[in-house]
Amino acid sequence: MAARTLRPLILICDDELPLRELIKAVLGDRYRYVEAEDVDQAEAVLRGSKPEAIVLDVMLPGKSGLEFLSELRARRRNKEIPVVVVSAWQSADDQRTALSAGADAFVGKPFDPKDLASVVEALIAA
Amino acid sequence: MIAVSALGAAAIGATLALFFVANARLRSANTASARSATVSAAAFDVRAAVVEIDQALQGVVEQYTPSSLAQWRHASRSWEKPAAALERAAAASNLQQQRRAHALRDEIRSYIDDYGEPVVGIARVSPSAVRSSDANTEGAIRLDQIIGDTDAVARNSAVIAANRSADAGRLADQATIAGIVALILTPVLLILLGLWLARVVADPLRQAVAAASEVAAGNFDVRLNDRRRDEFGELAHVFNAMTDSLAVSRSELIERADSLERSERHKSELISMVSHEVRTPLASVLGFTRLLLERNLPEADRQRYLEIVDAEATRLAALVSDFLDARLIEEGRFSLRREPFDLRSLVIEQAEVTFGHDESHDLELELPDEPLRIDGDRARLAQVVGNVLSNAVKYSPDGGTITVGATEDHGHARVWVADEGTGIPPEHRGQLFQPFYRGDAAAAGIPGTGLGLAVSRRIVEAHDGRIGFDPLDRGTRFWFDLPLEAAANGRR
Repeated sequence: MAARTLRPLILICDDELPLRELIKAVLGDRYRYVEAEDVDQAEAVLRGSKPEAIVLDVMLPGKSGLEFLSELRARRRNKEIPVVVVSAWQSADDQRTALSAGADAFVGKPFDPKDLASVVEALIAA
Repeated sequence: MIAVSALGAAAIGATLALFFVANARLRSANTASARSATVSAAAFDVRAAVVEIDQALQGVVEQYTPSSLAQWRHASRSWEKPAAALERAAAASNLQQQRRAHALRDEIRSYIDDYGEPVVGIARVSPSAVRSSDANTEGAIRLDQIIGDTDAVARNSAVIAANRSADAGRLADQATIAGIVALILTPVLLILLGLWLARVVADPLRQAVAAASEVAAGNFDVRLNDRRRDEFGELAHVFNAMTDSLAVSRSELIERADSLERSERHKSELISMVSHEVRTPLASVLGFTRLLLERNLPEADRQRYLEIVDAEATRLAALVSDFLDARLIEEGRFSLRREPFDLRSLVIEQAEVTFGHDESHDLELELPDEPLRIDGDRARLAQVVGNVLSNAVKYSPDGGTITVGATEDHGHARVWVADEGTGIPPEHRGQLFQPFYRGDAAAAGIPGTGLGLAVSRRIVEAHDGRIGFDPLDRGTRFWFDLPLEAAANGRR
């Protein structure tokens, strides 16, 4: 099977290096990763490749993660990519805002490693 | 309207007075005509008595007998009573009539004494002589005179009575006309008075009730016309004062509620901001700790993850102590460790810290060649410069040039930072240095606690300096002034 030959690619967009490290460590080596510190870098990644899922922080320098998400959902290209929003803003309101912007799942910071892993797994399997 | 009412009352009063006067006149006219009748009757009696005197005297002249003499004696006495009655009756009319009646009595008496008695005396001694025409002629003239005067008294009385009666009649006519006019005027005046009372009493009362209802419904802008000089004017004045003070206290309450609400909002924003700032490093600490506990990781990874946990935990500790520190400074509970130093070096150092990792902004430094020596707490002032610089970066998300400068001006050192960022909307300018005030920053997703500028102001003011900002065409220029060392020493 082709999927066996190439592990799924995941875009991690977070301005905090330790968090990107953590997300990679949590999800493990079943996936390949490409990292972005802000929305501009994320856009650059999307121009060159098509990840199977995006793990997206909200509070990014410059344009916010949710703005990026809304724009992504409004496009023809890449609009189907599943997105997990990971944010320290995690009130009910914040979650609603994220979901209405087009997020497929929401995980609050700090998170249990198992939760994030199962959410990403479920999204890619779907 | 009071004047009109007074006029009406006066008209009615005058009409009534007219009636009284007319009535009195009528009664007086009645009396006068009664008197006139009495006078006429008395005059008639006097006339009869005078005729009797004349006839008695003629009797004596024609035939001097004891009988004719007795008649004369009787006649020359019997006139007294009617003449006195006439005088009494005439006296009731007026003085003139009385005088006339009195004169008439004198005339009659004089006729008897000065003419009658001598004629009788002559008739006794020489009846023929007395029959000569001369004496008779004088007697006739005097008698005519007396009778004429008697008639005049009666006539005058009648004239007076007639005049009185005519006067009374005219007055009665006038009173009747006045009465009719008053009869028509009174209801009209009463209606006018009613309308006036309605306007003067009922209308202001209605207005007061309406205004009070408005106030009860919460409208404190309602005012009554207080230009009247009566009790309603006074009521309106007090009412207006009441609504004024109600409006003032309500706006004060609203202001206090607003300010409380603002401060509550700032606090809750602060809490969510702090929890966000804390959660980010906490996520790394907890996440990596779980991984280390749950997974069997290669030694190299374990080492690397522990290092990250350590760094993030340290960051957390710094964050908490920064926050506590900010609270202490904001509450004024801190002391300065002063030392002399060159402000330029501090500006350069902080600019390097801030812009070392920032590639989206261009930095321009405008520093003087001469040192700016001040006497201050270097660490605290570094905090101020660092705060103003990081604000310039945070609030110009689209990049641009940030200019950092320092100058000397009238014994003060001024440090300023100009950005080309979003600027500060006018509605936020007044509260910028208030603790926890963040304007639209939280909504815009710009991190911070809202304590930076409040803390900076405390620090600058503790150094006897000033801090402020000037809105620019594009962006904002923040500045603070500190006394130069010489000036600072000079003041001690």
